[in-house]
Amino acid sequence: MRKLCVLALAVLCGCGRSGAPEAQGPVIGVSLLNLSNEFVVTLRDAMDARAKELGVRLIINDGQRSPERQVQQVETFIAQKVDAIILNPCEVEASSSAVQKALDAGIPIVNVNSETRAVPTAFVGSRDEESARLGMAYIADRLKGEGGVLMMEGYMGQAAQLKRSAGAIEVLKKTPGLKLLAAQTAEWDRAKAVTLMENWLQAYGTSIRAVFAQNDEMAMGVVLALERAGRKKDIIVVGVDAIADALQAVRDGRLDATVFQDGKGQGRGAVDAALKLVRKAPVEKETFIPFQLVTKENVANFLK
Amino acid sequence: MPCPSDTSFRKRWSEIVAGRLGIVIALIVIAAVLALLKPHFLSAANLTNVVRQVSINGILAVGVTVVLLTGGVDLSLGSLVAVTGVVAAHLAHPGAFPLAVPIAAGVLAGAACGAVNGVVVTRCGVPSFIATLGMMTAARGLALVLSNGRPVSNMSPSLTKLAGDVGGVPIPAMILAAVALCVAWMLRNLRLGRYFYAVGGNELAARAAGIRVQAVKFAAFVLCGALSGLAGVVLAARITTGQPNAGVGYELDAIAAVVIGGTRLSGGVGGVWGTLLGVLLMGVIGNGLDLLNVPSYYQQIVKGVIIIGAVWFDRCHQSAGKERGV
Repeated sequence: MRKLCVLALAVLCGCGRSGAPEAQGPVIGVSLLNLSNEFVVTLRDAMDARAKELGVRLIINDGQRSPERQVQQVETFIAQKVDAIILNPCEVEASSSAVQKALDAGIPIVNVNSETRAVPTAFVGSRDEESARLGMAYIADRLKGEGGVLMMEGYMGQAAQLKRSAGAIEVLKKTPGLKLLAAQTAEWDRAKAVTLMENWLQAYGTSIRAVFAQNDEMAMGVVLALERAGRKKDIIVVGVDAIADALQAVRDGRLDATVFQDGKGQGRGAVDAALKLVRKAPVEKETFIPFQLVTKENVANFLK
Repeated sequence: MPCPSDTSFRKRWSEIVAGRLGIVIALIVIAAVLALLKPHFLSAANLTNVVRQVSINGILAVGVTVVLLTGGVDLSLGSLVAVTGVVAAHLAHPGAFPLAVPIAAGVLAGAACGAVNGVVVTRCGVPSFIATLGMMTAARGLALVLSNGRPVSNMSPSLTKLAGDVGGVPIPAMILAAVALCVAWMLRNLRLGRYFYAVGGNELAARAAGIRVQAVKFAAFVLCGALSGLAGVVLAARITTGQPNAGVGYELDAIAAVVIGGTRLSGGVGGVWGTLLGVLLMGVIGNGLDLLNVPSYYQQIVKGVIIIGAVWFDRCHQSAGKERGV
C-alpha cells in the first residue's frame, strides 16, 4: 500500500521528492520507461528491494513512454543534486539527450534494460536480439527446420521490436526450410493479437506450423485464438519476457515456450552499479544479463 | 414542442437513410474488391470472424452515438474499458462469485464513471471534450492502481465463455445486436430518445420547449459509460485477463465509426444503424488488410485514407441530397 501511495505521488507530481530529504544515504534518481508495463513494474520492484537492502534512497519517476518527459525528469534530478541516475530509456535517439545532460552535470548515469546513442557511465541490460534468436531457434528445432512460420511484431519502430525482428530474421536466414508466411504488428497488445491471429488463421489455414510473438502478451493472445479455433495442437507458439501468465501457460502446456528476461537481475544490477559509481568503486562498463529459454522442462525454476 | 413531431422525425429518418446509402455503397465496393483479391474473404468462417472482431468497437460506438447526438463527445471510453475490465476480472476468479457479479460490477463501474462525466459537464459547466479527456487520464490511472500495474488473470471459465460461440454465432456479436436493438428502439420510441436529438439539434429551442437539457445530457453520459463497462467485460472475457493497458485509442475508433455512419459531430443527426455500418466498414478494412498481408506501416496509411474517404463520400452524397430537396 505504501508503495502504491509513493507511486501515486510520483505519478501525480511527475517529479520531485515526496517528503523532506533524509540526510543519510545516497539518493538515486530513477526514470522508468513506462510503469503501466508489467516488465517495468518488475524492474521497479527489484530496484526498490535492492535499494532497501543497501540503504539507498530512490526517487522513482515514470516516463510514461515519452522521451521528452524523461529529459525533464533527468533535468529535475540534476537540479536536486542526486548522487546518481538510473535511466530506463524510452528511445535510442530521443532519450540520448537525457544521458548527455547527466554526464555534462557530472552525475553518473546507468542505463538499464535498453540502450541510448549517447554512452552512459554504465549499462546493465540484455541483448534483445538474443531473445528472438533463442525463441526462433526453438521453433526451428521443433519443426526440424521446415514449415510455415508467422511473426507477430511489437510496436513498430521501437528498439525492442527492431532488435527482436532482426534476431528472428537472422535465424530464418540460416534455416531456409522455414518460410516466413507473414510478419505483422499487434502492438504488444493481447486483444490486437487475438484479432490478428484469427485473421491469419483465415488467410494461411493449415500452412501455419508455428507463431513467434515478440512478447508474451501477444503470445497469450495467439494461444487464445488458436484454442478457440481448435488449432492449438498443431501449431507451436513462442513468446518473449516470461511474464507470470505466460509461465503458467507454459506449465499447463498451453504455450510451448517463452524467453526469460531477467528483470529482477537487471533492476538489482542497475542499483548495484549506480551505488558503486557513487562510491567511486570500479564498475563494469557493460553488464549483460543473459536470456534463458523457458519450456515445460525447466519452467518450475522460474515459477515462484 | 416537447418532442419532435412525427413529420420532422420522418424527414430526419429519410436524411439518415440518404446518408447511409453512401456508406452502404462504400462497404459494398470495399467488400467486392477484397472478395476479388482474396476469395476467402467471403467464407462463412471469415465473416463470422469479422462480426466477432467488431463487437467491442460496436458496443462502444453505439454508446458514444448517443453522446454525439446530444452534441457532446466522450473521450474516456478506452480508459473505461480498462477500468471495468480490471474490476470485472478481480471479481471473476474461479469460484469467487456467480457470473452475474463481475458483469454487473463492470457495467456499474462504467455507469458510475459516466455519471461523473455527466456531473462535471452539466453541473460544473466543463466542456465535454475536456471533462472526458480528464476522465480518460484519471480512469487509466485508476485502472493501474486497481491492478497494481499488472494484468489481472486467473479468470473463471464461465466468464471467458462470454467471448465464445453459441451455435456458430459469436456471443459478443449477439450482445452487440441486443445493445443496438435496445438503443435504436429507445431513440425512436422513448421520450428520452427523442430528447437526445432535440438537445443536440438545437439546445436553446429544446430548453424553451421545457426539456430538462442537463438531465438529458447526464443520461447520455451514464448510458455511454454503462456500455463502455459492458464492452470492458466482453474484452476481458476475450483476452481472459483484466488489462490496465487495454483499450488505448478505442475512443477514436468508436467515434470514427459513428461519424462514418452519418452521425454529426455537432449533434442532432444520426443514429444506431448508421453507426453499425461504420463499425462494420472499419472491421472489414482491418480484416481485409490482414488477409492481404499489407505491411504494418502501410496498413495505417490505408486505414486513415479510407476513413477520410468514406466520410467525404458520405458528405458529398448528403449535400447532393440536400440540393435535390430531400
